[in-house]
Amino acid sequence: MNTFKTERFRDKQLGFAMYLIAEAIMFATLFATYFIYTPTAINPIPEEVFEARTVIISSVFLLTSSATIHYGEKAVEKGNHKGIWIGLVTTFLLSVGFIGMEAHEFHIYYKEGFTLTENLFLSSFYILVGLHASHVLFGMGWMLVLAYQKNRIPFMNYAQKQNIFSYYWHFVDVVWIFIITLVYGPYLFY
Amino acid sequence: MTFYLFDRSFYIASDVLLAYITVILSGAALFYLITKANKWPTIKKYVTTTHHRKIGVLYLLSATLFFIRAGIEALIIRIQLAVPENDWWVFQGDKFNEAFTTHGTIMIFFVAMPLLIGLMNVAVPLQIGARDMAFPYMNAVSFWLFLAGAILVNMSFFMTASPNAGWTAYAPLSVSTYTPEAGNDYYVFGLQVSGIGTILAAINMIVTIVRHRAPGMKLTRMPLFPWSTLITSFLILIAFPVLTIALYILMFDRMFGTQFFTGEAGSPIYWQHLFWIFGHPEVYIIILPAFGIFSDVISTFSKKRVFGYTSMVIALAIIGLLGFMVWVHHMFTVGLGPLVNTFFAITTMLIAVPTGIKIFNWLFTMRKGLIRFTTPMLFSLGFIPTFVVGGVTGVMLSVAAADMQYHDSYFVVAHFHYTMIGGTVLGAFAGIYYWFPKMFGIKLKDTLGKWHFWLFVIGFHITFFPMHLAGLNGMPRRVYTYLPKDDVFIYNFVSTIGAFLMGLGTLAFIWNIYQSFKKPDYTGNDPWDGRTLEWSVPSPAPEHPFQPMPLVKTIDPLWEAKRNRGGKLPEAESARSAPIDVTSWQPIGLAGMMMVFSLAFIYHQTWLQIIAGIGVLSFFVIRNLTDEHVRVTREEENE
Ligand code: HEM
Ligand SMILES: [Cu+2]
Repeated sequence: MNTFKTERFRDKQLGFAMYLIAEAIMFATLFATYFIYTPTAINPIPEEVFEARTVIISSVFLLTSSATIHYGEKAVEKGNHKGIWIGLVTTFLLSVGFIGMEAHEFHIYYKEGFTLTENLFLSSFYILVGLHASHVLFGMGWMLVLAYQKNRIPFMNYAQKQNIFSYYWHFVDVVWIFIITLVYGPYLFY
Repeated sequence: MTFYLFDRSFYIASDVLLAYITVILSGAALFYLITKANKWPTIKKYVTTTHHRKIGVLYLLSATLFFIRAGIEALIIRIQLAVPENDWWVFQGDKFNEAFTTHGTIMIFFVAMPLLIGLMNVAVPLQIGARDMAFPYMNAVSFWLFLAGAILVNMSFFMTASPNAGWTAYAPLSVSTYTPEAGNDYYVFGLQVSGIGTILAAINMIVTIVRHRAPGMKLTRMPLFPWSTLITSFLILIAFPVLTIALYILMFDRMFGTQFFTGEAGSPIYWQHLFWIFGHPEVYIIILPAFGIFSDVISTFSKKRVFGYTSMVIALAIIGLLGFMVWVHHMFTVGLGPLVNTFFAITTMLIAVPTGIKIFNWLFTMRKGLIRFTTPMLFSLGFIPTFVVGGVTGVMLSVAAADMQYHDSYFVVAHFHYTMIGGTVLGAFAGIYYWFPKMFGIKLKDTLGKWHFWLFVIGFHITFFPMHLAGLNGMPRRVYTYLPKDDVFIYNFVSTIGAFLMGLGTLAFIWNIYQSFKKPDYTGNDPWDGRTLEWSVPSPAPEHPFQPMPLVKTIDPLWEAKRNRGGKLPEAESARSAPIDVTSWQPIGLAGMMMVFSLAFIYHQTWLQIIAGIGVLSFFVIRNLTDEHVRVTREEENE
């Protein structure tokens, strides 16, 4: 009986991997857009806008959350229910921290007049980083649904759902790594 | 046209008024007929279905509907261009721009795509021995998202806000500075919503083909239509996300004040790059499946295994790969420099090589074959010379220096209609005639089919061949009239006559469908003496086919079974678990909500954006909470 489930679940894994390829191409196109338009002839330039502190703090939040969701995955494999909860809750809290920092960052930019339409560097920055942020938000909603389902559906189904989620979450994290190194990095750390 | 109601005057353009009247009357007639024939339960079955055959039929039905609409636009365009300095009805200036924009957009995204995806849905699972698509629920979501996007683009006309910047939506014209009306917003959101559906459909096809083949059906034994579907799906997976982002950026330019594609710092050329990085693969997305159909049809009706099977697959793959490296041939006149132009000219010419290989393989498949001139075969035979002409003009266009003359002329219009009608549309017709028995258990009439074929193909050449000459004589595309001294009258006039012949051909097709249901010729499993697995299951294909599951040992397994085993396929010991079929209102609900969401953006209603946005998201939650996999696990645990 179990083997049947695994077959269907492997369909899902492959399908989701394909979906992530599509997403990766979307982000790649947005990165390309950013490179094309940054820096622009019109001020402000990235060095004026970016601020290392917020980027570092939010990165710490998000990158740690990849570790915690990985911990949650291991817990699923071992059937360790307490570990699953720890993984899920810490991941969620870290994502709250990340989104909080990012909202704070955008807020400051806007206060300083660095808005979406100010110049094309900022436009391409916001449509890229904003799309990533909306992925994080979507993931947070997803985690809430997972938490709700945890004790309400058979464990096998829960395990499958969390597994797919953790692929998603790692993907969102990888995109963030590219954002740090390619969007912020050249203007902050070199 | 102005009229008065309650002391107020209303203005409505007469063409829009006529369209309203037609749609309302035919809607009412349809409603009446459905009620009278007691067909509402059937409709409910189709609306809530997740079964691949029914979804395929839904795709084909919508495609036919949109084919009629965009076809009427084509006739309108041809009437306006029939004689010089024509001033017919309202179709000059911007109205003409709207007509060719929606004609092109609908034909490519809402006719060619769903015709092919519909046929894939009907045939591919059966050809590979799958019991359904890998994700039946998502399959329904794909279809309804496609339809929601199609309805958005189609309804723009009724809101007197048709898109008008061409199917390519070139910036800066497509940006709100120059087209502030809602028209191009409909384009952006319509394509976006249907594009998501298309990406999901491609994922579904990939997983189905990779993981749901019958035991023994190695990739190297797979028929060519599934092969072309697999490769096409990868093209969709890579190309469509680029369109998604192009539209996403265009949306920011149109609605949120950014200036990516206009202004001092913005670059209209960047739109062209994004569009064609998507757009050229897109034209291969709509031709490769047709190649697959022709391969299967020609092999069946020549009673021969397809010639050069391996080279056919490799050619498909190479075309797919090269398809991503040629997009600049649409931009030769932009001025990217001789080096860039040369590079892309060469890659473009290279595509002719694998395409030529396929043409020769089809010819060799027929050589010494036992050819039967059935309707699907006629369409395939019509395809070969027609498509060769399209390929030859393609290679002419790929000569960058010469393209300075051809570009944006009617020569290009002739080229792409030879490829897309000669390839995609004829392919879709061949496929529809071929697999119709698998959809409904009946055959389409052969005699009417022949009328359809001859009217359509002769009409096609009369319409489009003169366009080459008009183009070479300097007639630019996308103009609503020309002068007597331009010396292109005769070409245009002949073209218009041909267009009406094609219209007659299409009527013959629709009449054929009607007649075939009225006086049905019921067929058994295998009306064509077929070679592949779909002809081993009943017609129409059952909801749970392949019980028992066949064991595949060769290419063309059914043919082999007929020759060596008295027609009985060997049985596999065990099969993998089938996808779970469900019925659900959620897919259509989600798509409807996406439509509301899009309209809220198109008409800048922030409150509705929020409500509909929450609505869309709640469908994700509902889906998760009603997941059929959970139900199945519970049932199995209780056993
Ligand atoms: C041998 C293969 C082919 C070659 C070498 C080729 C080459 C070209 C070139 C160079 C152009 C640009 C002309 C210009 O705008 O000046 C073009 C346009 C076009 N081609 Fe092809 N083509 C080939 C096959 C196809 C196929 C198979 C399709 C579709 C089924 C197709 C659809 C189109 C379309 C739609 C356009 C015009 C797009 C527009 O500007 O609206 N072509 N082709
Ligand atoms: Cu092209």
